[in-house]
Amino acid sequence: MMFNNAKYQSTPRAFCLAALCLSTTIVCTTALADQAAKDRGLEIAIAVQAQDDGFGDSESAMTMTLINRAGKESVRRMRSRILEVPGDGDKSMSIFDEPADVKGTASLTYSHANEADEQWLFLPALKRVKRISSKNKSGPFMGSEFAFEDISSQEVDKYDYTYLGDETVDGIAVHKIEAVPTYKHSGYTRLINYIDTERLVPIKVEYFDRKNAALKTLSISDYEKHMDKYWRAGKMEMQNQQTGKRTVLTWSDYAFQTGLSEKDFNSNSLKRLR
Amino acid sequence: MSTPCKEALSIRSNAHSASTQIAVGVRKIALAASFSTVMSLIMMSSAAAEWDVRGNVTGEFTLFPHTPIHSANQASNFSLSTEMEFYSEVGNAGSLTITPFARIDRHDSERTHVDFREFLYTHVGDTWEARVGLGKVFFGVAESLNLVDIINQTDAVENLSTDQKLGQPMVNLLLIRDWGSIDLYLLPGFRERTFAGVNGRPRLPVPIDADSARYESGDGNDHIDLAARVSTVAGDWDLAAHVFHGTARDPELQFDPTLGALVPFYAQTTQIGLDAQATLESWLLKTELVHRQGDTFDNHTALVTGFEYSFYDIQGSGADIGIVAEYLMDDRGEDGPALLQNDALIGLRFALNDSNSTDALLGVIHDFDGKGSILSLEANRRFGSSVKGTLSYTGWSVSEADSALIAFDREDNVRLELGYFF
Repeated sequence: MMFNNAKYQSTPRAFCLAALCLSTTIVCTTALADQAAKDRGLEIAIAVQAQDDGFGDSESAMTMTLINRAGKESVRRMRSRILEVPGDGDKSMSIFDEPADVKGTASLTYSHANEADEQWLFLPALKRVKRISSKNKSGPFMGSEFAFEDISSQEVDKYDYTYLGDETVDGIAVHKIEAVPTYKHSGYTRLINYIDTERLVPIKVEYFDRKNAALKTLSISDYEKHMDKYWRAGKMEMQNQQTGKRTVLTWSDYAFQTGLSEKDFNSNSLKRLR
Repeated sequence: MSTPCKEALSIRSNAHSASTQIAVGVRKIALAASFSTVMSLIMMSSAAAEWDVRGNVTGEFTLFPHTPIHSANQASNFSLSTEMEFYSEVGNAGSLTITPFARIDRHDSERTHVDFREFLYTHVGDTWEARVGLGKVFFGVAESLNLVDIINQTDAVENLSTDQKLGQPMVNLLLIRDWGSIDLYLLPGFRERTFAGVNGRPRLPVPIDADSARYESGDGNDHIDLAARVSTVAGDWDLAAHVFHGTARDPELQFDPTLGALVPFYAQTTQIGLDAQATLESWLLKTELVHRQGDTFDNHTALVTGFEYSFYDIQGSGADIGIVAEYLMDDRGEDGPALLQNDALIGLRFALNDSNSTDALLGVIHDFDGKGSILSLEANRRFGSSVKGTLSYTGWSVSEADSALIAFDREDNVRLELGYFF
């Protein structure tokens, strides 16, 4: 979960802006205030990411419960492995345990901050590894309320940030930050992140669709600290305001620095993943 | 061929198959017995070992709307199959995968069969992997036909899409390098292709006597084949090249007047080939190319090339539509043995991406030499958490009486499959 610091030399940009705006004091003040909000937003986003640096690799298990308007539930289970790649997006592998007809289906992703992710799928019945397009960002992940872009590696570079002020959510003091996706094919115009001021983790995210209408709200809870440093959520609940459907993700069996390396993240290891 | 002659042939072949059916039956019982012995031995010997088990039991019902060429053939069929995979770790770096498969068919004794898709020991080293036993390996990128997929034999009684394979005896060494990987295969023991029996459908008008298979090599099905493949990923490109020397997996069907049947002939071949895919946003560009040489057939080149383009999350609905277009060529041309020698596949894929994983496929293979076309439709969805249903249709439209497709003119069928997965 590294990011390119070179991209965030915001001070010279602010300086130029100030110079340009000298003639019109009002515009200048607004622009400077805007820039300050952007700088502050970015600063918090970087702080959130930075505290996760150095986790190396991790493993976890996930249960996803899809709940439709009538309350009918369907369950998916999967396990994941992530490798931190300094200077680029993470490498990850996931394997399905449920539903049974997709058991053993596995995916391998090389995520990148500024270019398209690389992705492969392993189909166990045919023993076939297929390179697939990673363009599908906004489509649903396994029929859930989570889009592919919601569950993919969250890199700082993927958004432009604006700090909107401090608030309280469920008794927790938060920074409210607007994030506008900079990558192509996002299904959102913007997200509002609510970042716990103390732990520097998101506890709520609001998503706005392509027409800028409120679409979904994600509540993140049951955080636990691993290895005295890395916060991981135990539960994520995505509520779709437009359809009334929701999806609950619960995470368990977290393990860190289990000795995974680059060689565990290629198409050969994808075929062997259990 | 005149009709009386054809009937005479079919009588002869029936008499022949009656005698061989007993032998085949005995062989199948013996296979089934050894199969269950092996399974119980494994389960007993490894009471302590932990087995990860997955599999399915699938019922299949097929309807044939056209009256058959042979009056013995039925208008419908029922069949039940099961495949189970048992996986266990052996020591720190090894694993054993055992995947038995069995099918019982209401009418076709050839389709009633058992096989080990895998009975494979895998050892994983730091920069290498070794596999010994019966294994299953897939090569290729195309959707219509995988010319480069030459390790495993097709279990052709399963379906016409050639994607079901028989377990292949192998010793495989995989070498992992920074730039990609090298796979080396030693393939002792040849698996003969399965074919529908005289009571099965779809079937060819003339029976196939698979038990009388002939080989170019004096070693018959004991010929040891060799293969190697190198593969790499270069940015948007997935590339591989292979070489194969040994018994060709696809037999030539030769008519034997004494048997009154088609007999598979397996030639020796040396094959080189390439497969490549470029993944460029919504575009997947795919090519498979092979060149084959042999003493009993014309040296030839065959090609599959095309693209897949996908529209994702259409109108924010979550649904996808994909378009597949592939061209298939074999330079032996119209008179050669390849059915898809100047043909195109146009396919449409719909995926709702809903909680039941509902999807549908529509495909047309069209012959540019005017012989005809094949239409296939398939729809899949999940019911509850463990049942998957598939409804499919395959139809042949034959425009020339001398077309190789004429064999399937009356074999259009609708199939329903319901699988319980665990």
